[in-house]
Amino acid sequence: MKLIITDLENFKVPVEGDYKIIQPQGNIRNCIGCFGCWTRTPGRCVIHDGYENTGIDMSKCTELIFVSRCYYGSVSPFVKTVQDRAISYIHPDFVMRRGEMHHKRRYSNVIQLSAYYYGETVTDAEKETARKILQANADNYDGRVKNIYFYKSAEELEGIRI
Amino acid sequence: MKTALINGSPKVKSSNSGILLEDLKAYLVETEAVEFGLHTGTAAKEKAEALNQADALVFSFPLYVDGIPGHLLSCLADLEEASSKSKGIRVYGIVNCGFYEGIQAEPALQVLQNWCEKAGYVWGGGVGVGGGGGLAQMPKTKSGHGPREPIEKALKALAEAICSEHVQGDQQAQDHQQIQENQYVSVAFPRFLYKLAAQMGWRQMMKASGGKARDLGRRPEGGED
Ligand SMILES: Cc1cc2nc3c(=O)[nH]c(=O)nc-3n(C[C@H](O)[C@H](O)[C@H](O)COP(=O)(O)O)c2cc1C
Repeated sequence: MKLIITDLENFKVPVEGDYKIIQPQGNIRNCIGCFGCWTRTPGRCVIHDGYENTGIDMSKCTELIFVSRCYYGSVSPFVKTVQDRAISYIHPDFVMRRGEMHHKRRYSNVIQLSAYYYGETVTDAEKETARKILQANADNYDGRVKNIYFYKSAEELEGIRI
Repeated sequence: MKTALINGSPKVKSSNSGILLEDLKAYLVETEAVEFGLHTGTAAKEKAEALNQADALVFSFPLYVDGIPGHLLSCLADLEEASSKSKGIRVYGIVNCGFYEGIQAEPALQVLQNWCEKAGYVWGGGVGVGGGGGLAQMPKTKSGHGPREPIEKALKALAEAICSEHVQGDQQAQDHQQIQENQYVSVAFPRFLYKLAAQMGWRQMMKASGGKARDLGRRPEGGED
C-alpha cells in the first residue's frame, strides 16, 4: 500500500495501485512532546483528533509519499505535524547506524520515501535542504529514498501519476 | 540593543530548549534580552510585531523528525507574513536533538536559514546540540566543567557573535550573510552511556504510566509486524 500525506484538501493527483491518504480534515493538533506514543499507548499518539494512527498506517505501507508545498526546504506545517505525531512508527530505544544514533524498528516493513513538492519560488538552497531531510527521514525510518520532485504548482501535479 | 529569546518547544515548562536559552542569557551582555514562547501553531500579530522591534532573534527548539516542529514551522510562516523585511534583523538558531550527534540538526538549521532569506532577515548562524534530551539530568557545574561544558562553550561563542555583530552595525551585518559558521556539539558524556540512560528512562516512564517494559515494542492492533 502507498501512504500519501498531503496538505492538499482537494487532491486530484492520479495514483497507481492501492493507497491511503492523510489530508487536512478539521484541525490537526500539534505534537506536545510528551512521548506518550512511546510509553503510555505504545504505537499510537495520545491526542485523539483523528490523526493518532499514522504510525500504524506507516507500518502497513511499502511507500510513503509526501505531496506538499515546500516551506523553506521542509514539508508544510500540516504534513510536518502529521509526521511529528507519528514517531511511534519507530521504537524509542536507540541503535547505531552508519556511525550515527537512530531508533530501533518497531515493525519490519521497509519504506520507500518520495516527496512531490510544489511551490512557485523554491530556491536551490531549499531544494538541497529538502533532499537532505528526505534522506535523513529514510535513515530514521530505516527505509530508502525513492524520489524527490519539485513542481511549480499543485495543478501541475494533476498531469502526473504517482 | 534588544535580543528576543524565542522558545520554540511545544512544552511551556521544563523544556531543554528553555535550559539552553537560560544558559545563553547568562552570556549575553550589553543587550536587553526579552523572552518569547512559540509553543502552539500560531504567532499572534502582537507577538510578530514585538519580534520585529528586536535587533536579533534567537530561536531555540527541539529537532523533530529531522526538521522544525510542525507548530513552529506554522509560526515561521506567520512571521514571514508579518516581517518588516528591511530592518536587517539578525536570526540565530539553537537546535537540540535527542540523538547524540549535534550534526543531525544541520537540516533544521538550514530550514531556518532558508526562512531568513524569504522573510528578509539576516542569518547569523546556529548551534546544533547533540544529547539535548539529557540536559535536565545534567547539572550545570560552577567550574564550567562537566557534561555540559562543550555546549556552554558553543553558547558563549554564540552570545559573543550576537553582541559583536550588533556593534558592527546593520550595514556590515547585511554585507556578510553568514557571519558565524554553525557549530555542532554534543554533551561530554560517553555515547554508549547516553544510550543506556535513555533506555532506562523509557522503561521508567513506561512503569510510571502503569505499563511493562516489554510493551515498549508493542505493535498495536491493526499494525503489521
Ligand atoms: C515528535 C518528536 C520528534 C523527534 N525527532 C527527533 C529527531 O529526528 N532527531 C533527534 O535527535 N531528536 C528527535 N526528537 C527528540 C527531541 O529533539 C528531544 O527530546 C529534545 O530534547 C526535546 O526538546 P524540548 O524539551 O526543548 O522540547 C524528537 C522528539 C519528538 C517529540
